[in-house]
Amino acid sequence: MSAAVATAERERTVTARHVGWGAIALGVVAWYLALPPILVRSFVPSVVLGVVVIGAGAWVLGRGETRLGWGAIAAGVIGAGGAVASTQSGVGHLQDVVTWSALFAAMLRFATPLLFGALGGIVSERSGVVNIGIEGMMLMGCYFGIYGADIGGSWVIGLLVAMVAGGVLALVHAAFSVTLRADQIVGGVAINLLAVGITGYLYVDHYGDQGTPDDVSRVPDVTLPLIKDIPFVGDAIGKTNLMTWLAILLAIGLAVFLFRTPQGLRLRSVGEHPRAAETVGLSVIRTRYLAVIASGVLAALGGAYLSIGFLGSFNQNLTAGRGYIALAVVICGRWRPGGALAFACLFGFSSAVAQRLPTFSDSGAVLFQALPYVLTIIVVAGVIGRSRPPAAIGQPYTRE
Amino acid sequence: MSAVDEPLAGGALGEPGPEGGGQTSAARLAAYVQGGGVIVPLLTVVLAFLAGGLVILVTGHNPISTYKAIFNGTGLNWLLPWTSSADRPAAALNLQQTLILTVPLILTGLAVAFAFRCGLFNIGGQGQYLMGSYAAVWAGSSFAGMAHFPHVIVAALAAAFVGALWAGIAGLLKATVGANEVISTIMLNYTAIYVGDYLFGLGGPLQNGAQRSVPVSNDIVPGAKLHVFWGDPELQGLHIGIFVALLALVVFWVVLNRSTTGYEVRAVGLNPEAARSSGMSVARNYLLVMAVCGFFAGLAGAMDVLGWQFRIATNDIDISQIGFYGIAVALLGRNTAVGTFFAALLFGGLLSGTSQRNLDPTIFEPELASNLTTIIQGLVVLFVSADVLVISILRSGRRLMPWRRSRS
Amino acid sequence: MDAALELRGITKRFGRIVANDGVDFDLRAGEVHALLGENGAGKSTLMSILYGLYHPDEGEVIVRGEPVRIDSPRRAIDLGIGMVHQHFMLIPVMTVAENIVLADEPRSAGGLLDVHAADAKVRALSERFGLAVNPDAVIEDVSVGQQQRVEILKSLYRDAQILVLDEPTAVLTAQETQDLFKVLRALRDDGKAIVFISHKLGEVLEIADRVTVLRRGKRIDTVPAEGATEASLARLMVGRDVLLRVDKAPPHPREPILEVRDLHVRDDRDLPAVQGVDLTVHAGEIVAVAGVDGNGQSELIEAVTGLRPVEQGEIVVEGRDRTGAGARDMVVAGISHIAEDRHRRGLVLNFNLAENFALREYRTRKYSRHGWLSTRRMVAAARSLIREFDVRGGEPETLAAALSGGNQQKCVIAREIACNPRVLVAAQPTRGLDVGAIEFVHRRLVAERDAGRGILLMSLESEEVRSLADRILVIYEGRIVGEFPPDATEEELGIAMTGGGRREAA
Repeated sequence: MSAAVATAERERTVTARHVGWGAIALGVVAWYLALPPILVRSFVPSVVLGVVVIGAGAWVLGRGETRLGWGAIAAGVIGAGGAVASTQSGVGHLQDVVTWSALFAAMLRFATPLLFGALGGIVSERSGVVNIGIEGMMLMGCYFGIYGADIGGSWVIGLLVAMVAGGVLALVHAAFSVTLRADQIVGGVAINLLAVGITGYLYVDHYGDQGTPDDVSRVPDVTLPLIKDIPFVGDAIGKTNLMTWLAILLAIGLAVFLFRTPQGLRLRSVGEHPRAAETVGLSVIRTRYLAVIASGVLAALGGAYLSIGFLGSFNQNLTAGRGYIALAVVICGRWRPGGALAFACLFGFSSAVAQRLPTFSDSGAVLFQALPYVLTIIVVAGVIGRSRPPAAIGQPYTRE
Repeated sequence: MSAVDEPLAGGALGEPGPEGGGQTSAARLAAYVQGGGVIVPLLTVVLAFLAGGLVILVTGHNPISTYKAIFNGTGLNWLLPWTSSADRPAAALNLQQTLILTVPLILTGLAVAFAFRCGLFNIGGQGQYLMGSYAAVWAGSSFAGMAHFPHVIVAALAAAFVGALWAGIAGLLKATVGANEVISTIMLNYTAIYVGDYLFGLGGPLQNGAQRSVPVSNDIVPGAKLHVFWGDPELQGLHIGIFVALLALVVFWVVLNRSTTGYEVRAVGLNPEAARSSGMSVARNYLLVMAVCGFFAGLAGAMDVLGWQFRIATNDIDISQIGFYGIAVALLGRNTAVGTFFAALLFGGLLSGTSQRNLDPTIFEPELASNLTTIIQGLVVLFVSADVLVISILRSGRRLMPWRRSRS
Repeated sequence: MDAALELRGITKRFGRIVANDGVDFDLRAGEVHALLGENGAGKSTLMSILYGLYHPDEGEVIVRGEPVRIDSPRRAIDLGIGMVHQHFMLIPVMTVAENIVLADEPRSAGGLLDVHAADAKVRALSERFGLAVNPDAVIEDVSVGQQQRVEILKSLYRDAQILVLDEPTAVLTAQETQDLFKVLRALRDDGKAIVFISHKLGEVLEIADRVTVLRRGKRIDTVPAEGATEASLARLMVGRDVLLRVDKAPPHPREPILEVRDLHVRDDRDLPAVQGVDLTVHAGEIVAVAGVDGNGQSELIEAVTGLRPVEQGEIVVEGRDRTGAGARDMVVAGISHIAEDRHRRGLVLNFNLAENFALREYRTRKYSRHGWLSTRRMVAAARSLIREFDVRGGEPETLAAALSGGNQQKCVIAREIACNPRVLVAAQPTRGLDVGAIEFVHRRLVAERDAGRGILLMSLESEEVRSLADRILVIYEGRIVGEFPPDATEEELGIAMTGGGRREAA
């Protein structure tokens, strides 16, 4: 195929893609107009924008970019529709729900366990091992975090115990997936069941009816002295939990590790083409064991945040599917820490909004809680085709 | 794990390039059917119970007396000839409970097994079961004037179709854009819980009209209740749902092994590329299979609602696990009809034996015991995941012997 | 000349199969030593043992006079042994430099990967050995020839003194092969010891100094290349006189049954693969599409058999337009397909033979009625097919996985012919088969031709093409660039396959 033709084709696609993403952004703006602080009370500008966006989306569709095209059309419809709905609601309600700084802070709170879980998922999957068991490892961290903090008297001990618990469960997953070459997805489901059963069992056995103590040592929030007084930013990030900062730092660190260090290169090679890695002398088995255990530790930290960072207590099955959402974050973020951060924030944002929506409708409140899960399905379905997983993922590796 | 599975383009999930022999993750699972007879599942169960016993021991309880108490709770001692006539009535009651629980387990097990045979992971049995139960309770509490038989049929079919629709969402996403069904079904599970909490919660559209302060549904009318043929209806005797479940097992086997549809399903499960090359529509099969699985799971919901629950409270929704047990049932049963039956019976026994009602709390706390059941379930699934190794060892030994029957 | 490497009495078993049986092999510094044998003879196993991927059950390995135990590739690398694999051990999403320096990466201060140093080292090596590569290119974007150079550089980067090349020319054009041979000669003259694994007799005679022949796991003989002929080597390889060409009567082509007009097809990456192909297959002739892998022939075959959408153009079968028909409709229209990869596309390995035979026609009255599949009819049909095609190793109830490669392929062929097609499309029908099975397939294809079917053959083996075809169409970059008679020389075909020189269809 001639190079000129290829370049021309690529250029056409690039312009269409730009328009597509631009249209989606415009759709968001259309809705934003009707929300605080702008609070345009007429839906006309938003609807006009919406129509423009839909038109752009159709054009993009015509250029062959199906996903972006439909995404833009959807953004136009949702943006305009959302704006119309917002203009129909009371200003008071809107201002209650949409306090951006408080939403931002809540977003960070909800995103933290997702981010930890996703980072763990990235490490494991980049080495080629599917880790559906993140939910279970998170739950282990959840229970053992508070247990450790209770017994040991400090949240530091709680975190350490959580990390060990997550690591041990991950070791089981590694043993079955890597050494016994078990099916990794089924194994992951098993790991989650085990975690539910073990943590539930220990919780009932140890804490019984009274539940966890109220005064358990908790991971502190970090108050940033000067920043907290700045009007918007201060409310947003002035008083964020230590673990949230830890998660963000870990995300940055993992990005550097994966893409800038030799060890990261080796990890990725094991996940892409284990036989090739083996032929240059790397130990696929050792690398995968370490990766899976690390993922367990990271996931457990996310769980520990839930119990001793956020809530201060434990209930059976507290993670409530966050580990699975973390997995979706991994996929949507294309197995990159930066992408994981972005999507963790997106899903965290949806949870934050869902938490506040009950002001609109009491009985509907419960339904709004389904928002993050529904959003996950939509985003995952929409992202398909773009995501390229590590090539050898899910395939047990045999030396001989 | 990738969210990308491409039934429409070349290249199934997870095929490594140069080696060429890599199977899809789910196709490996579909090969379970060729597994090593009864020995392997039996061994798996024994191992799981042993490990469970260790957990009991380590936490300071007596495994032997615990397991004995659980066994008595299952009512299986009713089948044993040496059980005294004094114990018989209680054992009969327990056995009825076990069988009542076996009914939905068979159906949710089939919901998972059928999917596995097509190479799909249907982890969404729980959500499909719940959605089905909502439809059943609505249909069962409406249409008060209908005659018994049509009313039951309507309610059951409504439940089954709602379940099929719910599963169909995941199937459609998989068939069209290739969205991995593990994630979408898990998400649908949680969504189903919240839908139910909304429907039957305080102020919800299907909440009980008479009791406005309780988050519960309407009761189904007596005319829609399934007929109890063994035991006392007042004490939750065994209802005819067991026959529905057994019929479902037969239908499962017949469709899978004697129909062209089942042939396609199996081909797609074992080698989607070859199936596609032979002209089968892999996408269509994925959608169809998921819908059928939802049908089974929804039907399970109907059997429970019409058979013994008669109403749904939001609390029931939040703690229900029966759809998840279906996964362990299917895997332990090697995704076959006979295996599913026995595995369902085993877990039915475990569930009823460890229930509040049947387990002597002085020997072992029921709430602990239910978590123990979850642990055992997890262990079973874990060992099953690893026995692909056992099976492949068995098979590579047999590969040199040309005589092998393909198992149905 | 001292022995760089000696393998003594190497035996390796996989279950009941003895892959290597007491094999002796010695290698001198400054020589190219070819390891010759047909598929399954044990060549790759032997070299995998050398590279630490397998452990021998018996025998010893002696490197530069010292007995060693190579239990991992790392150890082999440390001993100066480098392997260039048949299926490249390259990571598609990473760059050339990353692939070469993996596991021996240059570091910068702070432990980070020093990309510049890696690039520089790769460039230096590339110049020193005359292997042109672009360090920053991503492997999956790079040509096969360059990929192979990267593979070789991987070993040279680690100071390999012993180089093993496993079927290196399988994916190369004629020109690239000559370039490779130039590099190999330079390396040999530099004092390196080279093992050249191949089953291509002509090339072996061209490049090797000595030739060792393996057959069924045993070493048959080691002979100097000088004085050996293709025929003498073939006799050693197979143990009897081999018919290198199939015996066939001249063709009697009749009416055209398959016409492809101006076909345009895109590949998996949505790039144009077939760019305007015209071809015609008549009843009673074998038309072969020849070319180097990756020039659109796979996509052409897939389009004609209904497995790939057609962007533009027409596919006409027996006068009826069948463009865009799906796989099942193409079968109904009279096109059968012996797929390229029998494990991936041809068979369901976990089905038994009866179920596999039914894959094409299970919906027809032959096997089922109203959705009801008749096992009895399936088994009966299977029995007759097994008999007719002499499938060994199983009954209708045997799993396909239990059969040997040759017998599996017989099943695929049996099934496709049983559909009674007008056109039989055979894509790489003898890949991975031993000589006996190859002979069977070739004879059968000719028989079907004589029975009046039209055969469209796609093959990467020019031997096979020249042996079977009545007309040879060479495909290059998605277009038919020449039509040749079967007596065309390798050279003529090779030139056409690389795009140079066009010979118009007669």
